[in-house]
Amino acid sequence: MTRRNIVGILGLFFTLLFFSDCKKKKTEKEETDESFDKSAMLVNYADKIILPNFQSFQSVVDSLVVAFNGFAQQKNTASLNALRKKYISAYLKFQRVAAFEYGPSESENVRTNFNTFPVNINQVNSNINSGNYDLGTVDNIAAKGFPAIDYLLFGENLTDSSIVAQFSTDPSAARRITYLDACITEMQSKINIVVAAWSNGYKTTFVNSTGSQIGSSLGLMINQLNFEIDLLKNSKIGIPLGKKSLGLKLPEKCEAFYANKISVALAKECLLNIENIYLGRSTPDTDGLGIDDYLQHLGAMHGSVSLNEAIKNQFTAALTKLNLVDEPLSSSINSQAAAVDAAYLELVKLLVLLKTDAPSALGVIITYQDGDGD
Amino acid sequence: MTVIKLKSYLLKPTHLAPLAVFRMAFGILMLASVIRFMVKGWVHTMYIQPKVFFPFYGFEWIKPLDATGMYLVFALLAIAALLIALGLFYRISATLFFLLFTYVELIDKTNYLNHYYFISIISFLLIFLPAHRYFSLDVRLNKNLKATTAPNYFVLVIKFQVFIVYFFAGLAKINSDWLLHALPLRIWLPAHSEMPVIGSFVTKTWVAYAFSWFGCVYDLVIPFFLFNPRFIKITYLFVIVFHLATSLFFNIGMFPYIMISLTTIFFSQNFHMQIIQRLRSILKMPETEQASFYVPSFFALKSLRVLFTVHFVIQVIVPFRYLLYPGNLYWTEQGYRFSWRVMLMEKAGTAFFYVHDKTSGGQIEVDNKTYLSYMQEKMMATQPDMMIDYAKFLKAEFTKQGLKDPVITAQSFVTLNGSGSREFIDPTVDLSRQSNSFLQNKTWVKNF
Repeated sequence: MTRRNIVGILGLFFTLLFFSDCKKKKTEKEETDESFDKSAMLVNYADKIILPNFQSFQSVVDSLVVAFNGFAQQKNTASLNALRKKYISAYLKFQRVAAFEYGPSESENVRTNFNTFPVNINQVNSNINSGNYDLGTVDNIAAKGFPAIDYLLFGENLTDSSIVAQFSTDPSAARRITYLDACITEMQSKINIVVAAWSNGYKTTFVNSTGSQIGSSLGLMINQLNFEIDLLKNSKIGIPLGKKSLGLKLPEKCEAFYANKISVALAKECLLNIENIYLGRSTPDTDGLGIDDYLQHLGAMHGSVSLNEAIKNQFTAALTKLNLVDEPLSSSINSQAAAVDAAYLELVKLLVLLKTDAPSALGVIITYQDGDGD
Repeated sequence: MTVIKLKSYLLKPTHLAPLAVFRMAFGILMLASVIRFMVKGWVHTMYIQPKVFFPFYGFEWIKPLDATGMYLVFALLAIAALLIALGLFYRISATLFFLLFTYVELIDKTNYLNHYYFISIISFLLIFLPAHRYFSLDVRLNKNLKATTAPNYFVLVIKFQVFIVYFFAGLAKINSDWLLHALPLRIWLPAHSEMPVIGSFVTKTWVAYAFSWFGCVYDLVIPFFLFNPRFIKITYLFVIVFHLATSLFFNIGMFPYIMISLTTIFFSQNFHMQIIQRLRSILKMPETEQASFYVPSFFALKSLRVLFTVHFVIQVIVPFRYLLYPGNLYWTEQGYRFSWRVMLMEKAGTAFFYVHDKTSGGQIEVDNKTYLSYMQEKMMATQPDMMIDYAKFLKAEFTKQGLKDPVITAQSFVTLNGSGSREFIDPTVDLSRQSNSFLQNKTWVKNF
């Protein structure tokens, strides 16, 4: 065999190998060669969304504290209702910061410390009765934060006056008010730490970490966005709906079950926050540089439409379906099971797009393990 | 004529210095890799923390040890690697390294990497090579072991193996996604736009094409050039540049350094003798070279011939086994592993598993995080054989929890090289009843 023969055979072989695989033509993507200004995008996130959201959450927590002090001084149904109102607005605002669990929030474990639900009422009651507890321990994770405040302010089928009585005339009243105080104060001190850390240094760290590598700001944001949509789909809707319990409805697993009128609103806030993060949107009409622009810039596709279009449509679809679900969610899961299920299915589709398509198109790396190289 | 030529090529005496240097380089690199693996906490996250493991088909009996056991295995690996480098108790340490390393890799296919497969093969081959008969502690302990030359094939097996790795990696790149669409590099490279200097280049489409074509040609051509002593210096320069570039862009750990170090075996024996001379002068162990030819016994020669032949026949056939299965290889991954297919696809997915109870007619959507690590879930969502393993685990788990003969289905959405997510498998199939046998085509994987 001459050398020329070998070259010829190899050439033929490669050609065959190549054409054996060429079946379909792909639709070419529209891409630009310019690089996307990731730095400007991160500045938008930090300056227009993350820090302002934290600050406005901080201020509602401050007014929650004020309302608590008012209730502690004058325990009556009026001050109770004033406190409840502040609790509700704080809980709603919390949904706007829950997805920023990196940097300072991660060190303070904000999501876990503020909102592990359903609340463990046995733990809450035993803490109150003993008067001896440390909210920082693992045992108390489901006995503090918003879910515990929810239970303390609304109780199980109690009238407003009996709630007031629990805090004023009950033998454990003093311990109960101390416990409520401890729950609120812990949140306040944690959010103060987070806001201070963001303003003094972490913002710079966040904005400068422009890569797509492990631990980059984009990677952290995407990872937390996925975590949050997962929470929304599972904890806020799926679990009460019976998705993990053979269809058996579990109303007591609803977020803010004792207030029993804001679970759907909380879910919507959560979804809106996820959408705002995706779009880089700070107020309804200020849409800055965000993940959507980055995906658009990369020319990522989903079938025949752009991935960005698909994701935006899916946000709309999910919100539309969620809007059809009435409060309280604990009843809707039975009375409007089909409507809740429809919202759930749209959230599943949204989750797939955000968790699978977006990171894949962005090339962000979330895992620390080595990959297969060359 | 050619047979005689081939025979004399394989059997002609060759100096053992290249093999000795290879042995030391391999040992030191493996020592570093094992230590790095432990320091990164991966022993814990990959082998101790997970509740479920995904063993390879036919190796389901391989189980991880407890925490102490796993750390002991890694400690022994480090010791074995060091002993290989020193050439002390060489056969035992090479055998130990091969067995332990392969054991660890067989525990969970989540962690499968072609690099690890390569290390398993090299350590397997090393067991049978006289790499300890020159410049080793074994020789200092037992002068009878010492040899300066040995039949050429002892060095050639390593070279052939390296050849196969590169060449098959190159063959795998001959496909339309890689060459015509510059995928997945076109997705991966722009993610590095923040890098100094090169950052502004990586977003350019032509750069992705250039990288793709260069990578393909490099892999196909470099193994031939490595065999040519005339071009070895320039070839090696390409090896260094290529692997450093990949290490810059991709998350591939030690592999670039391993390839850069191990390809030195293609350098001339003089090059390697100089290295050893230098080491001798540093270590103050002058030694006069007395030529001696190591000839394996007749029996060893015959068995090694069979062993190496069978090994390389398998090596050449296995990457082509994918031809036995219909469908898109990247999509179904039937016959994907053990074929030196690297960097070929950006694939991601989300899988929802459902446990159906026949008695109540209800279903449970499984929270995968309860059972799987992040990496396991990620890998499982795009690999059909892992979905079967997971379904079988779920069936056992929920049977234990009191369900009677539950049916396990899954809905999975996968995106491949920027296709956008689409349904991956038939959502009605009871995955717990499917088989991972090589003889069975997974018909329940949808067409791409």
